[in-house]
Amino acid sequence: MAATITPLLEYSGGTLAREQVGLWRDGLRRLRRNRLALAAMVYLILLAIVCIVSLFWTPYKPNVVNTCPTYSLPGTPGHPLGCDELGRDTLSRLMVGSQISLAIGLITAAIVMVVGVGVGLLIGYLRGVVDAIFALVINVFYGVPPIMVALVLYVLLGPGVINIIIAIAATTWMDMARLVRGQTLSIREREYVEAARAGGARTRTILLTHIFPNALGPIIVQTTYVVPAAILTAAFFSFLGFGVPAPQADWGGMAQEGFSPLLSGFDPYMLLFPAIALSVTLLAFNFLGDGLRDAFDPRQRR
Amino acid sequence: MTRGTLIYIVQRLGIIVLTLLVVSFLVFVVVHSLPGNAFISQRVHGKSLQLLLHEYGLDQPILIQYWNFLKGAIHGDLGVSLYIRGEEVTPLVLRELSVSCELGGAALIVTIGLGMTFGVLAAMRQNSWVDYLLTSFAVIGYTVPSFVIAALGIMVFANFLGSVTNGTFAYAAVWTGTYGTIGELWLPALSIGLYTSGQITRITRASMLEVINQDYIRTARAKGLKERVVTIRHALRNALVPVISILGTTVVGILVGVLVIENVFGIPGLGKEFVDSILQHDYNVTVGVFTIFALLIGLSNLGVDLLYTLVDPRIRY
Amino acid sequence: MAFAMSGPVLEVKNLSTSFFTDDGEVKAVRDVSFDLAPGETLGIVGESGCGKSVTALSILGLVPRPGRVVEGEILFRGIDLLTIGRDELRQIRGRDIAMIFQDPLSSLNPVHRIGFQVEEAMRAHDKVPRAEVRPRGLDLLQRVHVPDASRRVRNYPHQFSGGMRQRVMIAMGLSNRPEILIADEPTTALDVTVQAQILQLLRDLNRDLGTSIILITHNLGVVAGLCTRVVVMYAGEIVEQGSTEQIFDSPQHPYTWALLRSLPRIDADRHERLRSIEGLPPDLIAPPPGCKFNPRCPFRLERCFSEAPELVRVGDGQAAACWVTMRRAYAEMGAATLTDTRPGSASGVRPPSSAAAGAEAAEGGSRPEPEAGDGG
Repeated sequence: MAATITPLLEYSGGTLAREQVGLWRDGLRRLRRNRLALAAMVYLILLAIVCIVSLFWTPYKPNVVNTCPTYSLPGTPGHPLGCDELGRDTLSRLMVGSQISLAIGLITAAIVMVVGVGVGLLIGYLRGVVDAIFALVINVFYGVPPIMVALVLYVLLGPGVINIIIAIAATTWMDMARLVRGQTLSIREREYVEAARAGGARTRTILLTHIFPNALGPIIVQTTYVVPAAILTAAFFSFLGFGVPAPQADWGGMAQEGFSPLLSGFDPYMLLFPAIALSVTLLAFNFLGDGLRDAFDPRQRR
Repeated sequence: MTRGTLIYIVQRLGIIVLTLLVVSFLVFVVVHSLPGNAFISQRVHGKSLQLLLHEYGLDQPILIQYWNFLKGAIHGDLGVSLYIRGEEVTPLVLRELSVSCELGGAALIVTIGLGMTFGVLAAMRQNSWVDYLLTSFAVIGYTVPSFVIAALGIMVFANFLGSVTNGTFAYAAVWTGTYGTIGELWLPALSIGLYTSGQITRITRASMLEVINQDYIRTARAKGLKERVVTIRHALRNALVPVISILGTTVVGILVGVLVIENVFGIPGLGKEFVDSILQHDYNVTVGVFTIFALLIGLSNLGVDLLYTLVDPRIRY
Repeated sequence: MAFAMSGPVLEVKNLSTSFFTDDGEVKAVRDVSFDLAPGETLGIVGESGCGKSVTALSILGLVPRPGRVVEGEILFRGIDLLTIGRDELRQIRGRDIAMIFQDPLSSLNPVHRIGFQVEEAMRAHDKVPRAEVRPRGLDLLQRVHVPDASRRVRNYPHQFSGGMRQRVMIAMGLSNRPEILIADEPTTALDVTVQAQILQLLRDLNRDLGTSIILITHNLGVVAGLCTRVVVMYAGEIVEQGSTEQIFDSPQHPYTWALLRSLPRIDADRHERLRSIEGLPPDLIAPPPGCKFNPRCPFRLERCFSEAPELVRVGDGQAAACWVTMRRAYAEMGAATLTDTRPGSASGVRPPSSAAAGAEAAEGGSRPEPEAGDGG
């Protein structure tokens, strides 16, 4: 969609107008220029590769004990990252841990997106009583830190990765619903929606073909932020002792196991590696989210 | 304090009470549905178990139990602990509340102090190395989990310093007594505070940058005011509004941090109690802690909204 | 208005200010020179983007990043404002030279009371003794006709109307009895009736306090009402200057002439179209060579495309930067009866041939032009 200003007859100065481009191409272009976001994407792709590889192969079986002397330091032959208190290879556990952490993050985000968008669209479009109830529920839930509710919920459901996902998703979807509701409220007032309604389109069609695509930008950004939040919450769970049941462990669990040796003055490596993995992954998702948010921001002109 | 403001406060308090009711009811029901009971450790079975359950009123229908709880709660009596014989919940919770408040308060000071100072500095020296350094610091702060920071702190200040100075300057990671001294408090407070201060730095910086370009800043300079006066009295004052708007979530973030860090350092506060009570199936305590948290958040949100009126005279309820 | 014979209070010499953006250097002000006599009211006129505001900001060192004064001298009482230290300049701001701005809502700090903001202007300098600050503030507000001043001192800016806010700004500006008051489009954001009041206020203050005023505006009517001398700017340069009578009765630069013609007149024929100036102001990063007005000028000559004219004397105290001047345009090109004001219409001169224009355009970074249509 290029719009240009036709130059006047003998105008010999420079042009004053810029070409316009579509929102998506513009956004993609800006994203590509954001080096932090690019670096983050590269890292995440590498991480995904490691994760997939670990499904089929790891240097050692992660749960086999005594593959090396306990508490080995990094650099022992065959175990570049050392071993834990049961003699399990840290590198292998780290790779497998990525599966769990990433799974929790991505699946939670997917659930939150589906449920949040669905509810948000409906509430934003239908308004009325449904909206009032929603507002009430939201107000109540803002009164407690979601992590506490999630914790209690998790204990109720019983141990297991799936239950962690359910518990976290159950306390996070409301933010997404709120966002989508806000978007829907403003988009539904636009002329093309009115036109569609006047043309007799069904509610479902309007929601899917008009409102949802236009709200997609902020939705994608928010979803990108949900992933690290979920991973972080799961890590907190593990660290508090409520995490993934042994012998499996996500990065949070590995960090927790490495904590007591640290407290006793031993080497910090058992905690350090999962902590670094966690931190870098969280950073990457956050940078990616920032990059996406800046790319879709209509206020930025360059 | 206008009449409108008073009405507003009353409305908000009403909502808080409603929230407390709903939250406590939900938690009550959920917690009482948890598998297991508080008396497992005492190894009672059969008849003795029934007697115990009856003594604590746990064999009655849920609604009756909740009703009893409510009746007591209105008088400030939150019941008795199921785990520790004879221990009343209210004084227990209040005592631990003060511990958590001490920690939370210290974290809040770190958050706002570091957060706003860094934010202002970064904005005033936009795009310089100072800006990049402080902004990166903020980003790392709010991404890296608080227990990682705590662990790093212990690693450096307890273990490393300890081994290097033969134990004299080492940080003691275990609290002695109920209230921590400053020497014990700073690392936990920092672990919590770095996380939330990162967000504050970001918002303060963004807000300052917007304000700096406003016309009234130009007017202030044209009046011949000193640069520092312009920055603080004119720019920062106006930049505060967005910062206050995230103060509510910041308080929640601090509470979450308190929850985690207390468990990390073994600090005897509400956070640790919360986790312990769940593990011990001490329902009454769990509900009590939950209720107090909800109350804290509700009050702090109200406080934040009232703070708005102080800062921006255009906002009145 | 008789001027004291003590020499100008402000001398601007060869001022040039540019903005260094990612797209290049925007030459916002080029080689601008003018004087301001004590007690005089000088108007700086031009369309948006012609550099008049930037000139004013340059005087007080308030040009925002990425802008910077690149050349020139600004002599105030013999001191060059462009070379003195930051603190010295800060002292002069608000105390000796004051500036008020266009939009009084955004120019007043919304979170402080207006009494405080007026008093702050005085407290920042040592001119007014502490004890007198508050009564002086009140007196100023009354002087600018803010009703019920003693009570309204405690109000916030958002509780005032636009006209009131601008009066507050004026009070603030004059609080230290500065020698010069620079008013940047003080009435543009206000209703017409309020405009008249504000202008009257400024006139009275100029008469009673003897403050010199530099009034920046794009509105010629405002200039006629208040100023004794006028400077006309276009594309960052002064194209004409003179007394108000001279500028209005016999403008010599085609731009000034066109500006005056474009004012709707109450005695015009009902069927006459509004006469605007064709074209747009030039790109200040790559302006056209020669006279910057040549793409829009009906009277241009060949010379106008290659050589930029300098300001030359065209009357007693009047100067214009033009190779043609309206005198010649009236005499030789029938300017008096001209109805078609398209570029080159009166002189019949088109820009140099397309090939040359293409080469020029490539140099200047603009696009090659399509073949010109009939020039009239």
